[in-house]
Amino acid sequence: MKPFQILLVEDNEGDVEMTLRAFKTAEPPCSLTVAHDGVHALEILRPEQGGTPDSKVHPPQLILLDINMPRMDGKELLEVVKSDARLRHIPVVMFTSSESPNDIRECYERHASCYVVKPFNGKKYAQALHEVVNFWSTTSRLPN
Amino acid sequence: MAESRLAFPPCAGPVLDRPKILLVDDRWENLLATEKVLRPLEADIFKAASGNEALSLVLRHAFAIVLLDVQMPDMDGFETALLMQEHESMAGVPIIFVTALSKEEKYASKAAEIGAVDYIFKPINPDILKSKVKVYLDLHVQRAQIMRLNATLSQSNEELERFAYICSHDMQEPVRMMNAFAGLLAESAEDRLDDDSRRYLSFILDNARRMQKMIGDILTFSRIGREEITLETVDCEEILSEILSEFDDTIRKTQAEVTYSRLPCLETSSTLVRILFQNLIGNALKFQDGDHPPVIAIAAEQRGKFWRFAVKDNGIGIDDSFRTRIFTIFQRLHRKENYPGTGIGLSTCRKFVQLCGGDIDFTSVPGQGSTFHFTLPA
Repeated sequence: MKPFQILLVEDNEGDVEMTLRAFKTAEPPCSLTVAHDGVHALEILRPEQGGTPDSKVHPPQLILLDINMPRMDGKELLEVVKSDARLRHIPVVMFTSSESPNDIRECYERHASCYVVKPFNGKKYAQALHEVVNFWSTTSRLPN
Repeated sequence: MAESRLAFPPCAGPVLDRPKILLVDDRWENLLATEKVLRPLEADIFKAASGNEALSLVLRHAFAIVLLDVQMPDMDGFETALLMQEHESMAGVPIIFVTALSKEEKYASKAAEIGAVDYIFKPINPDILKSKVKVYLDLHVQRAQIMRLNATLSQSNEELERFAYICSHDMQEPVRMMNAFAGLLAESAEDRLDDDSRRYLSFILDNARRMQKMIGDILTFSRIGREEITLETVDCEEILSEILSEFDDTIRKTQAEVTYSRLPCLETSSTLVRILFQNLIGNALKFQDGDHPPVIAIAAEQRGKFWRFAVKDNGIGIDDSFRTRIFTIFQRLHRKENYPGTGIGLSTCRKFVQLCGGDIDFTSVPGQGSTFHFTLPA
């Protein structure tokens, strides 16, 4: 079975490390591409626009998106993705430290598929990622 | 990232302008005479020869004082004063009537009705005129200074709150990383570490968790007032029973006895009621000497326009000298080792309940227990 293709947009190396660790044991197996901010993510998502096609994931089946990032933050990227006819079908899961009610509302208003607060506890962090991936890859059906 | 979200506008307001005095009299020679008397004062003097002229000046300038002749053709002083006061720049500006009319009582009371603060009779005594005007000028300057100071204070207050919010918001990420990787280290290197190293790691973990709790509490505190408060019909009893089930473990472990009477449904913020019960019941369970099980009773009664709630415990109690301190943020009365906490809970309660039109207070006998009361509008 082809691994589930995920684009992780995250600027914090620690979080990237934690996420990679979590997916080592994920079921079904996942293939993770990492973008360090919104601009980098768009380069991966739109290789035809002169970006570097450094991913085997074109397009990804799921985007895991942090909010606070340099250059282009998560909310801005979310807006771009959801207004691009070729990308807007991809579920976007917000994965962030922020518990701010404003952030939560603003992300859903921009059509985020769901909003997950990064758990403080390391084990629960991995567990949350497993649940998210399991839901989107197995429980729900995605186009093609 | 934090810097870009923090805007520091220039701090002080504009330098205080020279106060402006408006003289209104239909006779030019009177205007000139009054101006001559007032010229030594620290103020700019404007002259108007009719009510209409005065009104158009009021539109363009903010005056500190108006000296208004009562007897003028077309529009008299009383009428001019009434029209002037419709203009917002005239709010609180003293109007002194200058009149040659007899000192009859009825004019005095008419002037007072209109809102004149004072009046002077012609022929004018220059010394009295000057000293009267000076008193009002001084008042004006003081008032302007207070207003400027208030503006500066509320601005720096706002900046501080924004600063606290952004700081704590952005600190969540590094503290989560410290906790996660110290946890990973503790797990993966468990067998290779000696006792001391394991102890050090557990210090790191404990402190990371404590810091996370503090950051969370500071965030809750600083969100109050920043975010809109939603008022809805809140079943206080339902919220109380939810909160009690969150404390289930502690209640069972300490064999606490918790009772409550019927609580009302109120038009208020459910977040507020939750925060109040969480903190007050949490405190009632925590501040115990451990010799006997906690006994906690929650009740509410209507008193006029308010409902007054009481959370009563049999804990260690609070000395009356800590009355103010206990509601001040970061103030703690005990060592963390004995009674853990961040010193933010009760200040959050007070800030929130006051914002919703209520208040919070306590009575206590040290060694026997405390009762915290809070009020909410009925």
